[in-house]
Amino acid sequence: MANQIEILMPLMGEGINEATLVKWLKKPGDKVSKAEPLLEVSTDKVDTEIPAPADGVLVATLAKEGDVVLINSIIGHISSDGSISASVSTATPSASVASKTTSRAQVKPAPAQASSIRPATPALVPTSSVRSSPLVRKIARDLNINLGYVPGSGLHGRITKIDLDGYIASGAHHRQAAAHAGNSVASAPAPSEALGKSPRVQTQIIDGVECLEKNPVRREKMTKMRRLIAEHMVESVRVSPHVTTVFEVDLNRVFEIREKHRAAFEAREGFKLTYTPFFIHAAVEAIKQHPIVNVSLDGDDILWKEDINVGCAVALGNGLIVPVIKKAQDLNLTGTARRLNDLASRARNKKLLPEDVQGGSFSITNPGGFGSLTSNPIINQPQVAILGIGAVVKRPVVIDDAITIRPMMLISLTFDHRVVDGEGGASYLATLKQILENYSELPL
Amino acid sequence: MAAANSFDLVVIGSGPGGYVGAIRAAQLGLKVALIEKAPHLGGTCLNWGCIPTKALLESAKTYDKLQHLEELGFNAGNPTYDWGRIMGRKEGIVDSQRKGLRFLMKKNKIEVFDGVGRLAGPSKVNVTGPDGKVTNIETKKVLLATGSRVRQLPFAKSNGKTILSSDDVLSIAEVPKTMAVIGGGVVGIEFASLFGRFGTQVTVIEVAPQILPSEDEEAVGELVKHLKKQNITFEIGTKVTAIQDNNGKSASVTLEGGKPRDFDRVLVSIGREAVTNDIGLELLGVKTDRGFVVTDSHYKTNVDWIYAIGDILATPALAHTASAEAMHAVESLAGKNPTVINYQANPNAIYCYPEIASIGMTEQTLKAKKIEYKTGKFPFSPMAKAKIENATEGFIKILYEPKYREILGVHIIGARATELIAEFALGKILETTVDEIGQTIHPHPTMSETIMEAAHAALGHAIHM
Repeated sequence: MANQIEILMPLMGEGINEATLVKWLKKPGDKVSKAEPLLEVSTDKVDTEIPAPADGVLVATLAKEGDVVLINSIIGHISSDGSISASVSTATPSASVASKTTSRAQVKPAPAQASSIRPATPALVPTSSVRSSPLVRKIARDLNINLGYVPGSGLHGRITKIDLDGYIASGAHHRQAAAHAGNSVASAPAPSEALGKSPRVQTQIIDGVECLEKNPVRREKMTKMRRLIAEHMVESVRVSPHVTTVFEVDLNRVFEIREKHRAAFEAREGFKLTYTPFFIHAAVEAIKQHPIVNVSLDGDDILWKEDINVGCAVALGNGLIVPVIKKAQDLNLTGTARRLNDLASRARNKKLLPEDVQGGSFSITNPGGFGSLTSNPIINQPQVAILGIGAVVKRPVVIDDAITIRPMMLISLTFDHRVVDGEGGASYLATLKQILENYSELPL
Repeated sequence: MAAANSFDLVVIGSGPGGYVGAIRAAQLGLKVALIEKAPHLGGTCLNWGCIPTKALLESAKTYDKLQHLEELGFNAGNPTYDWGRIMGRKEGIVDSQRKGLRFLMKKNKIEVFDGVGRLAGPSKVNVTGPDGKVTNIETKKVLLATGSRVRQLPFAKSNGKTILSSDDVLSIAEVPKTMAVIGGGVVGIEFASLFGRFGTQVTVIEVAPQILPSEDEEAVGELVKHLKKQNITFEIGTKVTAIQDNNGKSASVTLEGGKPRDFDRVLVSIGREAVTNDIGLELLGVKTDRGFVVTDSHYKTNVDWIYAIGDILATPALAHTASAEAMHAVESLAGKNPTVINYQANPNAIYCYPEIASIGMTEQTLKAKKIEYKTGKFPFSPMAKAKIENATEGFIKILYEPKYREILGVHIIGARATELIAEFALGKILETTVDEIGQTIHPHPTMSETIMEAAHAALGHAIHM
């Protein structure tokens, strides 16, 4: 009897209950060895590779590429001796966790034999499990309302019909994303208002071609990452009143220090010393003096955070990812540079772990890398501020009444005016400017 | 220093509202006192209401069964009863429950004060004992649970002999030959069904166009058919203009436009009134409306430290309602955040035969409110267990909203209606729809299967019809 090993969709972080199977890296029949990359998955937080759980032969792939699969569901089988046993064809998905959260098992067992595995149907998963009632669930299903957003007044927060009626009456359900209603990408219904759908977008079919205002269009579904970014941006702008303030910084001092240390640094650390670690390190030092930019809001409570966890936006071509440097307050410039180098290289190689992109308390975006002088970024919720780094440009400046050429850079702080005022934002940037222009070599 | 007579909570009244509230408060760590003016704990429910009447009604049901033993294959001759022992059994049950309550008070370290409790000033309550001695108590909070008393006809006060209140009738020495029941509400109908089955010729006189006016018309119509077989006749939509005692032997009742009619006993059961006088409400400025204390949805009155529950509110005057309100009030005043009571999920239970039990809205209410509804109804008659129990009377009727099939009201008439309604009480709290009731596997053979059948009938696929 062959030893069948189940391949489960692993838990990839707190709050993640589904993942999109992006690609099988092995075909049924392929030999796999333990820890060898077996498939690629994408969650709302991270794209990653899942290693094979054991040595053997991949005998069955129960979920197909593009499927949205619940965590802990069986997505395939590995046979330790390479044989395809009967147990594969009769295997029932024993996704016990999954079956508790949804009545629709998303991965169907193969009906007859491994070679005719039925394609898995996309899952419909609630974004979070909430207490409600059969009546409430029926109404919510009918009106496409994600109950995760509805406050419950019943026992242990159970959502009652009165709660749902109140929620509907408030109009809040109109703001809910269809995606948030728990539908998978593949079965996502019409674009929702939460994605910012304009009533002006009304296409017509002209001579069999879909047109917008008589202009032929090609319709393409957003990728999951694109859609999540879109939702997050709309939500952030809705929640936080954004204000941006801009300062100009003379980077001469940073230039000098980098020039002085870059060769030794590269020899010692094995990677290049770029400017970005300076900006991150200085930004963290400035947060220590202005912790208000490192808070979150919970209603009218301000949550002061112990750690400074800096998210650094990294462009991925088809989207972006924001790996987080945790406990950045404990790092000197070298430590910051090491952590950044590690995260950036893993982001490029899709080797980030879910925890690498979670828990940010402050964000930095660097559109200067693309030549942008300054920007007006959107706050990464639930944070309250984001630092924008502009392009470094050599410019004539007046110093001591003489014109001289200096590497100049615009820095911007976009902050949530609910909790940070203009003075707070400006004094943060003033401190940051002061640190960068008088950069001490000591932190190296 | 806290004085000896200083408490976190004083509960005035030890009925099913008051004593439940007192125990819940003690469980939550509060120092609690309970004041009761009657000689026994338990209030109307235990001493003059639910418990003694249901004890007697059980005897009536048993006597009725004995009359039909032939149908069950027994040769029992002509069974007779001993009224004294029936009353003794009732007293025994009541007494045992009273003792149980005393034990519960002791167990929960609740100090019981005998006497009349009154609000006496800010954070002050006093108790006037049976000997007239006044005890002053300090307390952080008060829960008023003073309940209700029987309402008297202004022109015919009960005399305890021929003209009786429901309190008096519980110590009636013998079963009368004839009885007039003034008022066809729950109390009147239960006593009519009780004495009718013991052989009394009962005349129920009701001023409204329907007995049990708050119950569903169809269920009441069915009930009247069965009550008529229990020596009961009805004078509906009729007003009583006079009741005259005839030398303590009988009483004559005059109906509007009629001649006086003689009855051995007259039961005046025209309802109950809240006990809100002489408890100090005016002194503290506690707001009332038409005789009822006014509270918010957590049973707090307009005075911050005073809470009120039970029959002194305009909510349904039912023991289980008072208990639920008391639990909520106490949890709320103890800083918990209990869920607001949904009165649409509050069941009613009437222990005549067949029993009537209901929850939510009646069909006539739905019509009056122009609420769209559909009906799923199933009789007990085809059900095997109903035949086995010789109890084929009645039906279960589910009124539901057509789109999502929310249960709007349920009306059960039948031998075990008061037990069967509990499934719907849970169903209403959980906001179960007709679909889930229909999906629920009910044990076979039981009366409860009829619930599932009624749900199936609502969904258009009743099995056993």
